[in-house]
Amino acid sequence: MTSLEGIQAAAFPFHGNVRPILNEVTHALDRLLETGEATVIDLAGLPFGPGELEYLEASLGTGELSATLDALGTSCIRETAFPGVWWLEHRNALDEVVGRYLEITRTPEILSSQEADIVAGRARLGDQLGN
Amino acid sequence: MDLLEFARGPALQVAAYILVAGTIWRLVGIILLKEKPEFSEPRARGGLGAALKVIYTRSFTADPFKPATLYPKILAYVMHIGLFMVVFLFVPHIMFFEGFLGFDWPGLPNSIIFFGGVAAIVSGFALLVRRLTHPVLRLISNFDDYFSWFITMLPLATGLLIPVRLGVRYETLLAIHIITVAALLIWLPFGKLGHTFLVFVTRGTTGMVFERRGAKT
Amino acid sequence: MKRTPTVGEVLQAKGVSRRGFLKYCATTASILALPPSMIPRIAEAIENARRPSVIWLSFQECTGCTESLTRSASPTVEGLIFDAISLDYHHTLQAAAGDQAEAARHAAMEENDGGYLVLVDGSIPLGNPGFSTIAGISNVDMLKETVAGAAAVVSIGSCAAFGGIPGADPNPTGAVSVGELVTDKPVINVPGCPPIPMVMTAVLTQFLTFGTLPELDKLGRPLAFYGKTIHDRCYRRPFYEQGKFAESFDDKGAKAGWCLFKLGCKGPMTYNACATTKWNSGTSFPIESGHPCLGCSEPGFWDLGGFYEPLSTGNFDSGEKLAGAAVAGVALGVAAAAAGRRRQAKFTKEG
Repeated sequence: MTSLEGIQAAAFPFHGNVRPILNEVTHALDRLLETGEATVIDLAGLPFGPGELEYLEASLGTGELSATLDALGTSCIRETAFPGVWWLEHRNALDEVVGRYLEITRTPEILSSQEADIVAGRARLGDQLGN
Repeated sequence: MDLLEFARGPALQVAAYILVAGTIWRLVGIILLKEKPEFSEPRARGGLGAALKVIYTRSFTADPFKPATLYPKILAYVMHIGLFMVVFLFVPHIMFFEGFLGFDWPGLPNSIIFFGGVAAIVSGFALLVRRLTHPVLRLISNFDDYFSWFITMLPLATGLLIPVRLGVRYETLLAIHIITVAALLIWLPFGKLGHTFLVFVTRGTTGMVFERRGAKT
Repeated sequence: MKRTPTVGEVLQAKGVSRRGFLKYCATTASILALPPSMIPRIAEAIENARRPSVIWLSFQECTGCTESLTRSASPTVEGLIFDAISLDYHHTLQAAAGDQAEAARHAAMEENDGGYLVLVDGSIPLGNPGFSTIAGISNVDMLKETVAGAAAVVSIGSCAAFGGIPGADPNPTGAVSVGELVTDKPVINVPGCPPIPMVMTAVLTQFLTFGTLPELDKLGRPLAFYGKTIHDRCYRRPFYEQGKFAESFDDKGAKAGWCLFKLGCKGPMTYNACATTKWNSGTSFPIESGHPCLGCSEPGFWDLGGFYEPLSTGNFDSGEKLAGAAVAGVALGVAAAAAGRRRQAKFTKEG
């Protein structure tokens, strides 16, 4: 009876699912440069073989900017090594991953301060100052 | 019971019984016939060796007829080889045979099988066109010829439809494919499609008789 | 009907920022398999949606579906219970039991008459109502009573959707599916043994977000999750096309992750989201773990002929009948030959 360690997974994740995604990112970047149109790719709906998601993440790499969002759990928003291509990973309060997206845009919407929050914050600051 | 259950169950079972009964009926009915009395001196023994030899040599056209038959011969070979590939070298089919034979054999990649299937259907249609347009063939072709052609092409077509899909559900296409195979198996022992197993009997008999009479084999 | 707060109001009361709300809407879009472009519409819908009342009935089941739901990550079932829906009755999860629990169920039904969702797991035995009872009430009676004022019924799991394992041959309890008993209300089937947790919450989220029920296939399953076969989304599909199959469970093909068709995989005829959505928050699914698909979201999957029999094997009866056919063939052949020989003798004599 072979032990679990004896079972080898495929060394190189070859199931052909990463390349089409990278191609789609390329086209999205073209669109962004030409018309300014942003694209969001939901990675949850795409098939990945073992190791392919990690391979995609490694292929895109890490850029200069990353942000952590604390709302209903932690989310990580970071620019990949390709400017304009952002990797968003949402986790819930139990630290389980609930969403993974690629956003091809100048700034992901969720990074901007939201109107409703600004209004609420302005009210709070006013209260603090007594006016 | 839905269509697929019916196709894989009762339809195939009944087809199997009729195939077995029909094939044995025809074979036994022919083999038990009396041999025609031989009035000339035998030039040679005319045994199993002669039978096997002619089964092989009849696969090749005699020289005088080669030019006239080259076109249909190529078409027929392409059709038969394509059909053989699809039936016996496609892995899901091999698994089907393993189900009752108990052993399996290596298959070919799906893309090659698909190519073989398409080649078989295209050559099959070319042969039908020839049968419909050639003056002699048109005269002598009967229901058996056309129906046997149809019942053989049908499983090929329905099988090729499965990867193509055309918006129909997989299980429905599979059920239809299996039912057309059952229909083929039911017709196979009767009519001209019986050449599937009878070609060996006829060629073998011809070989034995010819060798005994000293004719070229 | 008593006025319940909208989900937007609930989240605001809990101090959730707009950013947090956007994140919630993004993950909801993901759950509903909707494109990210739908997020603004979802945000608008959720803000104004009211928490629907949900009554969960458990009949002849193994509790696997509830177990699966409590593993749902997005949103967490606790979050789902308290934020999005009002789970007024679930006899596995609730603390109350007996008369008090039944009273809570009746109260929820009256207060929300015409607007509550009934979720059912487990099949219903018709052979003898005593086979499965809750608080002395038979399953079939409780079902009929509870769906009377429901907006819709959701059959959770293959037992409720198609009869499942109790309904498998020889079906000793006379188990039937919910759909066979409920014909005057919309019934959504969410099959699987168990269903993928996220799929279960997605149906609830859809109802919550849009107040509508999802588009269904001809077996009543949400097309968003049951529209494609495992085979059509399987990452091992290239191996199927190349003819690379595992022959046994520990051979080199299996270790290399080749196609499991020969080991009985029912992927080609199974409609479910396992190949993309996967299990345990996207960790893996049976084929990725090396086991062929059982077809657990299809009706009658227990009686499909064998988990390890390849799909293309025929369902042959017995060898004896085939031998009988052979004997019949011999008999017919002898008769034909006898007639033939008589004719031959006639010709030879005449000519």
